[in-house]
Parts: sequence; structure tokens; C-alpha cells
Amino acid sequence: MGFKQVKSILPPQTHYFSGSDAVVEGAIASGCRYFAGYPLTPATDIAEGFSARAKDVGAVFIQMEDEIASICSIIGASWAGAKVMTATSGPGFSLMQEAIGYAAVTETPIVIALIQRPGPSTGQGTTFASADIMQCKWGSQGDYQVIALCPWSVQEMYDQTINAFNLAEQYRVPVILLSEAAISRLEERVEIKEEIRIFDRAKATGVAALGLPPDNQVQPMPIFGKGHQTKVTGSLRAYSWGLTSDKAVQEMVVSRLHHKIMDNRDEIIEYDSYYREGAEVVVIAYGFTARSSLLAVKALRQDGKKVGMLRLKTIWPFPDRVVAKVGSEVKKLFIPEMNMGQVAGEVMKYTCSKVISYSQTNGDSIQPDTIINELRRLL
Amino acid sequence: MEGAKQIRFCGFGGQGIILGGKILGNASISAGKWVAGLSTYGGAARGGVCEADIIISDDLIIFPQVIQVDVLIAMSQSAYNKNIGTVNKETGLVIYDTQLVSTKEVNGLKQIGIPATEAAVKELNNKQVANVVILGAATEMTNMISKDALVEAIKKGVRERFIDLNIKAVDLGFKLGREAISKAK
Repeated sequence: MGFKQVKSILPPQTHYFSGSDAVVEGAIASGCRYFAGYPLTPATDIAEGFSARAKDVGAVFIQMEDEIASICSIIGASWAGAKVMTATSGPGFSLMQEAIGYAAVTETPIVIALIQRPGPSTGQGTTFASADIMQCKWGSQGDYQVIALCPWSVQEMYDQTINAFNLAEQYRVPVILLSEAAISRLEERVEIKEEIRIFDRAKATGVAALGLPPDNQVQPMPIFGKGHQTKVTGSLRAYSWGLTSDKAVQEMVVSRLHHKIMDNRDEIIEYDSYYREGAEVVVIAYGFTARSSLLAVKALRQDGKKVGMLRLKTIWPFPDRVVAKVGSEVKKLFIPEMNMGQVAGEVMKYTCSKVISYSQTNGDSIQPDTIINELRRLL
Repeated sequence: MEGAKQIRFCGFGGQGIILGGKILGNASISAGKWVAGLSTYGGAARGGVCEADIIISDDLIIFPQVIQVDVLIAMSQSAYNKNIGTVNKETGLVIYDTQLVSTKEVNGLKQIGIPATEAAVKELNNKQVANVVILGAATEMTNMISKDALVEAIKKGVRERFIDLNIKAVDLGFKLGREAISKAK
């Protein structure tokens, strides 16, 4: 249990990978040995890649009848002790929502690669969007926390997949690799290091069951078939495992799921800053749009404009503290997104600075020139 | 993007455009370059316009999409028509398959025909390797990477029983490329 250094499975060298290849390799390097999924463009490449690699490492790949079965299958496999994942896009992610809440309340470590595509509903499979930010956080009923990571390059698809497994195991929580077709289909160089750092969950011994610990610490997890009377349920239950409507228990469950993540958010949240020194306007961006934004910001800086950038690598839990700090330092925050302002709305909760949301929902990526033109009007 | 070469390889689904892009990307990696490849295709597996974009650079690539094409390699009329306007008019180069594309005059833009499909059928008895023939020609004409790097990438990216055929296609492409250069002079 805990963090350990392990040898990379791939030889340490430079590879030319698609984002999807990188997710597969990151999962396998992390020790993921169970993948259940259902094909859905643009996430199918990950399932295909995992199925091709499964036999090399003795992993199980199973194509289920749909996305509901896929996520339920990985939840079961996680309780059997495996590191598990699935991959899907918006329409499949919608179907998975009930089970995501179930994984959250049963504190089951799972990783979901969500490769976004334009919606609503079936929308279209081969163009770009990033409009499932809120669904990641609020898709299932009730109050719960998940972790969502937002890579901007193929290298980060690899690194953040490893991080996703580590966080899932460490906090016993669903972790979403919140990506998009523009990154999953992108091909770039990926440096594989000699060793990586991985986290294996703490396994319970003795009489475990789920129980309700009095503090907000993550409890060791029992494993099906290893001698415990392990029970798992999405219904509210008391220590005795009987169903209950006890107010104190209900409150404790909700509070625990919230605090085990939020109290540790400074550990979990990652971000990067660029050209922030002396900036009057700061762009807040994530995923592919952060690449357009950085090129725009760099060009404007070379032109003497006081503009900087904050890149969110973690979207959930939301980086509230850094956003509040940046907001207090600058006059305006500019937030370009391939959705109708989902992160911009979140930013407004934490700053009194002027927030300018720029939305593009036509299936295209936002081009650097577009951002340059918008920023010139603000500077 | 200074110093970066933006290449768009395009044609219709089924010609091996995406595979060609992967080979070019892999070749550039083994040449120690930074590369960004992003292909686009429609919902259908065969027939529609399909494009493989590759940016090759000596430095890290911030924005990985092609903004303005330096080298357009076109293997179908519809792909040519769709993309001819994206080429840099001053310094750009268009390489097209003579059997599949009839060009239109664009002020000052250099456009060079390569009989890739025709030669693939005539000399290798296999239309399917026309993509590698035209890639070979483009490599010879632009010096974007070395021939060795291209051959290495083919060995890595193509199924074993097709490797020899594809290496012959590279040779054929280099020959056609050299002929085209001397004709252009």
C-alpha cells in the first residue's frame, strides 16, 4: 500500500503516440488490469488499444452490452481488488451517471476516460467540444465529490492517467480523465521514464465491511473473496449494515464524501502559470484550448501586452483558491471554452474580478487568432 | 510558428492517408524532431475527404494544429479543392497525384505533379502503396526528414508482409521526386 516506485512497462525512450495510446499505456503502467467498455467515437480507440495490449500484461478486456454494464462491471472488479477503468464519450457518460454516484458512495476506486464530443445527446462523434465539465461533477444524484483531470498534451494523457489511478486508489473515489477528441486523436512525442510512482490502495484486514469511520480519513478497502463479510450497497446503512434513516448517519455520509476530497484539495489540485508577472488580464484555460491560449498569450506578450495565463490541470475539485488569488491580482479574467461558459461560471463563484466568458460550440477548436483578437479588445 | 513545417496530407478515406501521416510522424520522431499530428475524417470509413496534418519542428510545438499549410500533398480532387486555399501563397508547395487531381492556377504557388498512383500500379502492381510513393517523393522534394528515417518508420508502422513492398514504394517515390525536381528546374 501507499506510494512506490515501479519500472515502466514500456522501454524508456521517446514514442510517437496518440492521446488514446498514451491513456492505454498510462493505465497499464499504473497496474490497471481490468477494462470493461462499449465502443463510442472518439473513445473507441482507447478500448481498442487496451484490448490489443491486454494479453501482453495478463489483463482482462471485456466488451459489455452497453455503458451501464461497463461501469458496473469495473465497480465489481475494483471490489475484487483490481485497478480498473472504462472509456467513453458524452452519450455513454450520461448512461453511466447512476453508477458513478454508486461508486462515489461505496468509495470504489475507478477511472473513467471521458473523451468529450459535441452534444447534447448523440450530437456528433468526429468533431470537438468540451461541454461535459459540469456533468462530471453534478451528473449523479445527491452530494458527492469526484476528481477530474484535464490533460493538454499527449504526454499529459500518459502522466495524468497514472495520476488518475493514483488518486482513485489513494482517495477511494471515481476519477475522470476529462479529455476531448482534439487531444485523444492528437499524436505527439511521449517520453517514457525508467520508473514511475504508483499508489496501491490500503487493503483491509479483519472484519471490515464498509462501516462509517468517525473522521474524514480514507479507510482501507476490503476485497471480495478474501475472507471478510464484505457488503456493498448504495442505500444508506448503519454500522450494523442494516438500512437506516438515521439523520446523523445520512449527514455523516454526505459530509465524509465531501470532506475526504475537499480537505485534501491542495494536495490534489494542479495548475500551471504562464506570463503572470505584471499581467492585467489573465486567461484561464484548460485542455486543448489552453494550447491555443498559450500561443495567443505568448504572441501578445512579445507585442508588449500585459497578459498572462493560468492553466487548470485539475478541474474537480475546482481550483478555487488559486482562481481567487489570480482574480484578486488582475482587472479581468478571460475564459475561452468549447462550451457555453461552464468553467467561467465556476470562476465567478470565487472572484469579484470581471470575468469575460468566450464560448465556441461549432465543433471546431478555438484558434489562437480568435483569442488574440478577443484579448486585444480587453487590453 | 517559426521554423516549423506544416504539412497536410489529404485524399479520400481508404487511400492510406491516416497511415501515411503516422509514418511521417514516426519518421520525424526518430529524426529527433518535435511532431504534432492530427487527422480529420468524416463518419464514413471510405470515400469522404480525409486529412492527416503533421507539424514538424526543432522546438516544442505550442499549438498543435496546422494554421497555414507549407506543404500540401493531395491525392484526390475534392481534398485538393477543399485545401488549396489553406496553402501559404508565398512559400508553400503543392504536391499532387497527377492521375487524381487536375490543378487550378493559384498566383505564384508552386504545384508539382507526381504520378504516384499510376506508377504504383505500373511498377509495383499495387495501387494501395500510392500513398507511400507520394510520401517518398515529397520527402525527396522537401528534405523534411531523411530517407532512412522514413524507411525506419515504415518498418515500425506497417505489417511485416507489406514492409518490402512499401520500401520499394519509397524508392519509387524518391525517383519520381528527383525527376520532378529536375523537370521543375
